Amino acid sequence: MVSTIQNTDVKQKDAARAAVVAVTSRAVFDCGVGGGDDVCGVGVAFPLLQALQRVNERLLEENPAESLLFDVVLITTSSQQQQQSSRISSSTRHYGLEVSRFCFSSEEDFIESLLTNGVQLFLTTDRNEATQASQSGVLSALLDQQIASCPPEQLRVMFCGDAIVQPDTGPTPASRQVAQSFSTQLGEMRQRFGVFNSPLSIVLVTSRGGRESCSGALQKLRSRGVSVDEAYCLAGAPQGPIVSLLRPHFLLSEGFRNLEE
Amino acid sequence: MSLDPVQVMSGQVKELKVAPSSNGDNRASWEEKEEFDQDHLGLTTKPKPPKPENAVTVAVSSRVMFRTEREQKVFEQKGVEEYLRYQIEHENEPFAPGPAFPFVKALETVNARLRELYPQSEELFDIVLVTYNHAHVGIRLINTINHHNLFIERFCMTGGSSPIGYLKAWHTNLYLSADADKVREALAEGIAAATMFMPEKLTEVSESQLRVAFDGDAVLFSDESERIFKAHGLDKFFEHERDNEDTLLDHGPLKGFLEALGKLQKKFYAKGQRLDCPIRTYLVTARSAASSGIRALKTLRAWGLEIDEALFLAGAPKGPMLEKIRPHIYFDDQMFHVEGAAEMGTVAAHVPYGIAQKHNPKQKSSVGK
Repeated sequence: MVSTIQNTDVKQKDAARAAVVAVTSRAVFDCGVGGGDDVCGVGVAFPLLQALQRVNERLLEENPAESLLFDVVLITTSSQQQQQSSRISSSTRHYGLEVSRFCFSSEEDFIESLLTNGVQLFLTTDRNEATQASQSGVLSALLDQQIASCPPEQLRVMFCGDAIVQPDTGPTPASRQVAQSFSTQLGEMRQRFGVFNSPLSIVLVTSRGGRESCSGALQKLRSRGVSVDEAYCLAGAPQGPIVSLLRPHFLLSEGFRNLEE
Repeated sequence: MSLDPVQVMSGQVKELKVAPSSNGDNRASWEEKEEFDQDHLGLTTKPKPPKPENAVTVAVSSRVMFRTEREQKVFEQKGVEEYLRYQIEHENEPFAPGPAFPFVKALETVNARLRELYPQSEELFDIVLVTYNHAHVGIRLINTINHHNLFIERFCMTGGSSPIGYLKAWHTNLYLSADADKVREALAEGIAAATMFMPEKLTEVSESQLRVAFDGDAVLFSDESERIFKAHGLDKFFEHERDNEDTLLDHGPLKGFLEALGKLQKKFYAKGQRLDCPIRTYLVTARSAASSGIRALKTLRAWGLEIDEALFLAGAPKGPMLEKIRPHIYFDDQMFHVEGAAEMGTVAAHVPYGIAQKHNPKQKSSVGK
């Protein structure tokens, strides 16, 4: 049974305008074996949440009436996590995280939760969860363990310009649509800031194709109102060393499944 | 971006590339069809770029690859937002060739010859465009590369952050930039690097043979002898060199690059093309043949490095000699020589290494990208 609870410590966002991002509680907190109301330790996605929060803070600095903000939802995806609900909410308050809602669901109904809460981007450290969500038409990205060391002062989003298409999980018109609208929102947010000192940075990587691939990706993103800050065209060179230098918080591959790392 | 079936079937030559797949299992069937078509139709496609660890990687900044003075001025006078707006407005106007352009073209010529002789080999030059520029400028840079028919498929546009980490990730063998600070940073990380300047006139260089000229001290060799000369004068320098004739000089920042050139040269020799080799290297040094030059030659020999021509000028100006050689690039640690070369139309690159730097207040630390 799913329960959705508002976090009364945090001002709720305008549902029509905000970019709703759901992150699994397992990624944000390391709840270990403690019980009762013990505060959980921080997980790999903690700096990511701080970065999302930072973007909101800066957006409101530019315009206190800003409605295009990140609306962060913490979601549980297993009955085991579901049972930790009070620790999750108390930990959220303890760390002062800007989470507007909690969705306490299990492995059976978390997808339903994502859909009913209008989640535009689902972030998880679990590959199966990401696949399932993708297949149900929710834009998903797999969080890497490395993001624990990503900077909390700047949200770094990486677009993979030439993702590998899988014939069975190819883009449906619906999933392409969600990917496009989320990237358009990101693009709009980016425009609120200047070239330097932005709390949000958009990075494009084309891994297999040459310069035409990269040029095409830059133009396609531009047509959606997304201005790319950094671009790397690898033309077949190994991705690992470059991506680990780039330190993205998450990768978007145009509505397809995430690229293998 | 994903190639949809329409693009594949319309036979757009540029799009049909051999794409090395990082994960063979995940390839969709239409991707396999793409490669199949390529082999059987015998279309001329662009060759696949080599793996960085196999290639001799030359990273070139956009400011030395092309002429961007006008845009630099916009940046300096009107700030970054206006600069980017200007770039986007002029996106379809290709940049003119910069000082590194003839050098890069010559590298491509060598590659073409290497591919003829060794079609499967990845021991080639790989040119990567590395720029501090914001990706907004990316489309203009790509349009420019297309316009000049350059074979550059790899680039890093770092949007303002240091490219040094990426240089290392690309196994960079040589980095050319307009900015002395970035070059110094690269040298400090053990990457051969030099600052390039646009000469007012450019003498014509060979289109069939890559010619690279090096100064000796503080470029191929360490600056130890120069230190003696600067501290104690010419007589002491000669004495020191004579006493240490059989002691090898320590290596300098460009030794590795000369070595890389030598390895490629040997590939031509192995196919009987010594006389017709499209790579030629020169040592142009102020040392003199009869005395201090001996130590330099012995060192090179001990390192197993062949240099095609060694020119000992015994202190004479380098400009006229370089004008005769017509190298695509000449590396020197002293701005005095770099400027002298440029006056005579040679593209000279400054290696800001060693003791000579303390005596050279002329180095410009340029702003912007």
